[in-house]
Amino acid sequence: MRDACVTICDRRVMRDRRGRGNDATTCLFKLFCLRTSMSTQKTPKTPSRRRVRSEAKTPLTPSLLSAFNTVSIDSPIKRATSTSIPLSDAFQRQASGGVIRKGGVESRLDVVTLDYVPPPKSTEVKRSRSTPVINLSDRDRFITSRDHTHELPGTLDQMANPPSGSPTHTARLAAAAGVPLNRRILGYHLPPPMASSDTTLALQREFARPLYANRPGTVATSTGATTNKTRKIATQPERVLDAPGMVDDFYLNLLSWSSLNCVAVALESSTYIWKADTGAVMQMGEAPAGTYVSSVNFSNDGAFLGIGLGTGDVELWDVERGVKLRTMAGHQAQIAVLSWWQHLLSSGCGDGSVWHHDVRVPRHKVMELLGHNGEVCGLEWRKDGELIASGGNDNVVNIWDGRVGDAPIAGDAVPTGNAKWTKRNHTAAVKALAWSPWQPNLLASGGGTNDATINVWNSTTGARLHSQTTPSQITSLHFAPHKKEILSTHGYPTNAVMVWSYPSMEKVAEIRDAHDSRVLFSSVSPAGDMVVTGAGDESLKFWKIWDLPTAEKKSKISGRGEGTTKSGVLSIR
Amino acid sequence: MAPKQANRKAITLKGSTALVTEFFKYAVNTILFNREVYPSDDFQMVKKYGQTVLVTQDLALENYLEKILQQVHKWILTGSVTQLVLAILAKDTRTTLERWVFDIKLVEPSPDAKEGPGKAEAEIQSEIRAILKQITSMVTFLPVMQEDKVFNILAYTSESADVPAGEWVDTDPLAIEASKSQQVKMRSFSTDIHRIEAMVAYRYEE
Repeated sequence: MRDACVTICDRRVMRDRRGRGNDATTCLFKLFCLRTSMSTQKTPKTPSRRRVRSEAKTPLTPSLLSAFNTVSIDSPIKRATSTSIPLSDAFQRQASGGVIRKGGVESRLDVVTLDYVPPPKSTEVKRSRSTPVINLSDRDRFITSRDHTHELPGTLDQMANPPSGSPTHTARLAAAAGVPLNRRILGYHLPPPMASSDTTLALQREFARPLYANRPGTVATSTGATTNKTRKIATQPERVLDAPGMVDDFYLNLLSWSSLNCVAVALESSTYIWKADTGAVMQMGEAPAGTYVSSVNFSNDGAFLGIGLGTGDVELWDVERGVKLRTMAGHQAQIAVLSWWQHLLSSGCGDGSVWHHDVRVPRHKVMELLGHNGEVCGLEWRKDGELIASGGNDNVVNIWDGRVGDAPIAGDAVPTGNAKWTKRNHTAAVKALAWSPWQPNLLASGGGTNDATINVWNSTTGARLHSQTTPSQITSLHFAPHKKEILSTHGYPTNAVMVWSYPSMEKVAEIRDAHDSRVLFSSVSPAGDMVVTGAGDESLKFWKIWDLPTAEKKSKISGRGEGTTKSGVLSIR
Repeated sequence: MAPKQANRKAITLKGSTALVTEFFKYAVNTILFNREVYPSDDFQMVKKYGQTVLVTQDLALENYLEKILQQVHKWILTGSVTQLVLAILAKDTRTTLERWVFDIKLVEPSPDAKEGPGKAEAEIQSEIRAILKQITSMVTFLPVMQEDKVFNILAYTSESADVPAGEWVDTDPLAIEASKSQQVKMRSFSTDIHRIEAMVAYRYEE
């Protein structure tokens, strides 16, 4: 069918060629160019456009005109002979309209062929009537064969699947492909196994790499520790203790080192005392079923241990005997932090309140401090008991007057305190709080992940004295007892213990990756040279950060009344 | 003299075949690792040829390669394999992305030359090392293949080759269209019996 179409088209070309002489050869050439170009770029044509073209613009030879049953008023021959340039133009259009497009259903020529049903005999007659100058049948054959040779290599499928399995062709193909005929190409019958390990694993690692690569202040040392030239600190812990089940929670405070050289650590519902002098471990008891220990803190003399529970109860334990003395109920939420000043045990609660418990009296709640909207996770008494600082999940640092009113109030009501200073500079939860032992009005506070800033406040004037950004979340802060330095512990990504000089706030030392997980808790030894850190990797590590002061220095310092002596032992009952 | 010579040669053929087969094992592993056909987690470092080579520890893949290499070993021994091809295909479209071609040629011993001790093993090893290093360094200029990949090993054998029925089947050469392919010839190595010439063809489109 299609071959027939080609013939028709070509015939039409020939007729016009006859009419127009030399001009026609160029037209013929154009037609071929068009045809080849059309076969490559298939421009879709709307049926309406096609119809218009076929009715009005196609100049038809008489033979074809009769074949089409369309009525044309003008004589097509006249039109063809009178205007040569519009004709060639129209010719091109006709060619473009009549080009065979493989698979083109709406091809114009298909329409023509549908109309062109008369038997070949009639066309023969018509051709004979007109002057046969050129042997058309030869021409036709020539052109069509040209057409075929032109189109054949263009089709890839035909090249890939040669229609004839001619041996010479196969040989030629084999030679061209470089495959010797007497060779076989064999493949193993099974496909290779799929990768057993997760293929996205490497990708995930790739994605995670920038998190590690861009760790702020990355150091090149293998241990990941840097120390100042003037100061050398041990980058390895002195001692590592296992702490199985230690809760990996930023808001809790599960580690305390007493003045009697005992380390208390809470592991889920149990509290353990590790005596640093002997290395003995003692279990202090279990939290009631269904709850957990959320905070521990030794009294200043080291004889008593306060334990805060997830239920809101505060327990008082005798360290020496290992018995519980009393339970102080009242809070409705988790006690995330405890702080002692003599007989006052202050508890920071999940509801944002801070209560002072007088452990000596039955009605233990003697004062309430309301100043946080979020959970209180940082609480620290100043050594002299004048001030108490609290930090919460609402990013606020409050400094309160520590004096508790003696005047009893009727009923269950307790006096409420007002914050002396409220600081809203932090942009994340404030858990780390530390009062300076050598300059009473200095308070250091450190913010969480989004903040990661150490701020040093003057508690007298309320001014911010220093602000130091750190690489990561600050989980605890300590002023060095014998040195003008601040120690900070950090969470992800550096998991570091850092030492800063004060007041220059220069980094003195950094133990990077002190733990495998974020360092959550820390406590300074009573002697003031060691620091214990606890982390989510369920271990306690003891670091020797500072040197003990020399003899004369020590006497000078002890004159200030350090908390290491047992002079301040209080009697509770 | 003649039987002795033949004897020596028989042993060398076996040894050479083993050497060539072993080379293929490490070459294939190196390619699979470097072209990331399998995740790098699957590979472990092994000391070989005086350098570390990454070899898969995926048991399924190991067995698969082992089965292929066993047959290849037999073919090399009978001299019926002329070419081994490791084709890397895109998993989804099955288009060939790379073809690592290893020509195996029998070295015709010159009839008159009395080649005394033959090629030293250390020398062969250093040649192998050079090829493996070259495979590794190819990564720098080969186009990055983003998609998931699978590989396929083809063996070009002679018509008369002994083919275990059902295990090896005639396949497509998995060729890359000539217009879209670029080829790089790599180093070669030779034993007294065999000469291995390596070449990589890869799909390269502007």
